[in-house]
Amino acid sequence: MCGTCGCGESASHGHGHAHESEARRIAVEESLLADNDRDAARLAASLRARGIDAIGLVGGPGAGKTTLLEATLGRLCEPGADAVVEGDCAGDLDARRIEAAGARVAQIETGSLCHLDAHLVGHAIETLDLEGVRRLWIENVGNLVCPAAFACGEARRVVLISVAEGDDKPEKYPAILAGADLLLITKSDLLPHVDFDVAGCTDRARRVAPGLPVLVLSARTGEGLGEWLAWMRETAPPARVG
Amino acid sequence: MHEAKLCLALLRVAEAHRVRAGARRVTSLRLEVGAFSGVSPDALARAFPICAAGTAADGATLRLDAAPGRELRLADMEVI
Repeated sequence: MCGTCGCGESASHGHGHAHESEARRIAVEESLLADNDRDAARLAASLRARGIDAIGLVGGPGAGKTTLLEATLGRLCEPGADAVVEGDCAGDLDARRIEAAGARVAQIETGSLCHLDAHLVGHAIETLDLEGVRRLWIENVGNLVCPAAFACGEARRVVLISVAEGDDKPEKYPAILAGADLLLITKSDLLPHVDFDVAGCTDRARRVAPGLPVLVLSARTGEGLGEWLAWMRETAPPARVG
Repeated sequence: MHEAKLCLALLRVAEAHRVRAGARRVTSLRLEVGAFSGVSPDALARAFPICAAGTAADGATLRLDAAPGRELRLADMEVI
């Protein structure tokens, strides 16, 4: 080490390099996601305090998130109890479908942004009348990568993988499974037509998230919807007292 | 896909610590990137110099260390 400036060079040298001589290391140990984590925790607490159960839906494009929501709203049949935040890169096609299914809906058009975050969701629900709402569904942008890092204020996160996508998805996108509370294998009506190994997909998911509950359903035929609604009710936070 | 956004978050955190330390410039940053953070280290490394241009971290070197879990953390940095 150079005795003059402590720069690590063994040979003697001129000391024109003010930069190495003054450099000092600062320990930071701070998460880059801290802002979003804080916003998400605040949003989750405020929803909980209003007696609203917040459920996040995450999956690739075409995994069946909106169709599952339509089928779920149809089965629940509790007018006024559900509100939905729809995240899409462009357009309001999903918002119109959800409105037609009878829920209040706020559409977030993310443009080129690949995920929702707690800040976006917080502002979106400001536009919603939440009076009487008991469930808030947060449908993320279709993407199995980026939403993994950004909590959106949901109390539970449901990951959807359709049988058309392939049973290898949990192995290819482990981060999204690591943050899941439930895996839904959707479009089970297509199982006779595709090579999808339900047990293999379940094993791969549980290698990332041990003990993860897995349900198989078809929003189209209604298969498995009863189990899905039962899971939702059983894992819902206790209703607000008073 | 959102690496530019994360770079801006990184620069925000680094800037706060630079100011607190009373330093002029940030010369290097060491980031811990979790295997489940959903972040591509390559994309982050490419986005960083562009995002840092014109800031107090302009020209700083970015070191990315693999970490377990979902972590994405500025571990430490060097300032002058």
